[in-house]
Amino acid sequence: MIEVKQLSHQFELGKKDKKTVIPVLQDVSFSVTKGEIVTLVGRSGSGKSTLLHLIGGFLPRQSGNIVINTTDVSDFTEAQFAEFRLGTIGFIFQNFQFIQSMTAYQNVELPLILQGVSETARKIQALDTLEKVGLKGFEHHYPSELSGGQQQRVSVARALVLNPLIILADEPTGSLDSETEEDLLHLIKELNESLDITFLIITHDDEVAKIGHRSLMMHDGALIDQEVK
Amino acid sequence: MLFKDQLYFVRENMKKNKMRIFMTVLATAMGTAFLIVLASVAFGLHDTLIKDVLEQETVNQVQIYGKDDPNSQGITDEDIDYFKSLENVRAVRKQSFFRQSPLVSLNGYEVSPRTVAVDMAALETGGTPLKDGRYATSSDEVVVGYHFYEQLLKDDTDPEDMYDENGERIEETLYQGELIGETIDLTVSRLINETDTEEKTYQVTVVGVTAEPANEWQQDQRLYTTFDFYQSVSEYTGTPGGEMYFQEEPMDLTFYYDEVTIQSNNLENVQALTDTINDQGYYGYSVASELKQINMLFTIAKAGLIFIGAIAVIIASIGIFNTMTMAVTERAPDIGIMKAIGASPKTIKQIFLLESSIIGIMGATIGTLVSYLISFLVNIGLPLILEAAFEDQLPEGFQFSSIPWTLVLIAYVICLLVTLISGSRPAKKATKIDVLSALRREL
Repeated sequence: MIEVKQLSHQFELGKKDKKTVIPVLQDVSFSVTKGEIVTLVGRSGSGKSTLLHLIGGFLPRQSGNIVINTTDVSDFTEAQFAEFRLGTIGFIFQNFQFIQSMTAYQNVELPLILQGVSETARKIQALDTLEKVGLKGFEHHYPSELSGGQQQRVSVARALVLNPLIILADEPTGSLDSETEEDLLHLIKELNESLDITFLIITHDDEVAKIGHRSLMMHDGALIDQEVK
Repeated sequence: MLFKDQLYFVRENMKKNKMRIFMTVLATAMGTAFLIVLASVAFGLHDTLIKDVLEQETVNQVQIYGKDDPNSQGITDEDIDYFKSLENVRAVRKQSFFRQSPLVSLNGYEVSPRTVAVDMAALETGGTPLKDGRYATSSDEVVVGYHFYEQLLKDDTDPEDMYDENGERIEETLYQGELIGETIDLTVSRLINETDTEEKTYQVTVVGVTAEPANEWQQDQRLYTTFDFYQSVSEYTGTPGGEMYFQEEPMDLTFYYDEVTIQSNNLENVQALTDTINDQGYYGYSVASELKQINMLFTIAKAGLIFIGAIAVIIASIGIFNTMTMAVTERAPDIGIMKAIGASPKTIKQIFLLESSIIGIMGATIGTLVSYLISFLVNIGLPLILEAAFEDQLPEGFQFSSIPWTLVLIAYVICLLVTLISGSRPAKKATKIDVLSALRREL
């Protein structure tokens, strides 16, 4: 489902004359099969977020290759990646990333709008997805009116609404307490089992790492260990 | 993304800063109104002038003044036959002026009018209306001009006694009797040698009076006769048209027409007819040629005023640019989220261009409505002000400002174009927003 080959990346900091090159990824290769939950663990600055952003198309690739669902996305333009992302990849962010002026329903409806789904069809799909994540009755609440756990469920619903093949999650429990964290992990597990969705989750939380079928350990931009459970 | 959803997005975005949008729309409306009102003056004056020209009787006529031929002395019957053979010709009116003004005597009143021989039948088909009576059918019948009677003076009247102290004609000095059916004495002179003259009096009956000329300033004091009468006078004097000239040898009395007027069957064909006639070496003139010049002059004036007006719209576009740039900056996090989910740069660009276009359309619509109101008020108010200030009455139907649909269309196109250009840079900026920076709220 996801195949990363010899991916390297570096950031250039500073101005023209005093540029500092910081390597963040060095020759990273791994693959994720369909229906797997893979967690990427490592300390801050280990390069796991950069790796996720490259797979998600938020950063332009410098070297190496990325193949997602048999499509080589390595040389995709921004527009091509946007279109690909919309139908294939869902995102869950640590701090939810909602449009605050929109209700929970409208935020979940957004990917459907972008895909050009008709109003009637998207109403059914959005409400159905919100019900799936246990937020029936909260459709017309604004993000600020929901708890952290509920907000992250809205975030999951938004990632889920277009039935993606892969969901990339960046520290999904980072803003949650232990109880709501457990609920969310349970939901992820359930979605993985019932819908066969592939998850690639970044975390530095051992509890989160436990739900993965595999755990990839990163250190200083390199993959150092693979743990299969 | 469906267009309906794009509109929904734009509406929601616009609602977030109503005051800023209102001010931008207001500036655009003012710019558009300025453009339309300014150009409407040229449109209004043009319309008035065209209307004035079209009201003239001569509008669908081509006047022939001569021929580009050194051997030719004027227009002959052969030329007339050629004119009649042309397409779209309704009538050919010809006339020859008498070379002397015969003395007319009528019931003790006298006048020496400008006398002209005309083709009465062509006058009738050419649509020259009569006020009273009919056209002359024989050489002893004549038609008089609408103002003919004003020139008739009693034999013993001193011309100084004709007007009062205000310069107005004294009513009593005017001929009061009927004209139609009256027999008048027409005295023609001729030279019998170098110095001596003799006279001959013809008795003719007035059978018609021409209608009042279209314009107030026109005076028709002529006496219209038939060509047969013209011919008999020429034969009597031995000179063309009764010219006071003595020559031992008999003169050539071939008919030459001084003025030939060709009437077209409709206004559209006048210019083509004039061109055809001029191409054949005649000197033809029509009001249509004048209209062409008027039209060209006003087209230049309109273009100039629209250009000046467009500057106001361009100034207003600075507001649109500013509003859209601020909107993009404010919405950077939302744009980042949309892009992260899968919104293509094209979709983002479309949303912002749509927003600036809507501002432009709203501004143009309000500006157009205001322009119509201003135009209406100007057309009503300005004549009143001018009358009060200068005690001068404007001609009836005078239009100072006119807004045709073409002007509205031009204003809309300019406005939309300018708003699209001013909105394109902010829209492009929106597409360039970096997703990660936007999500980290770094923008």
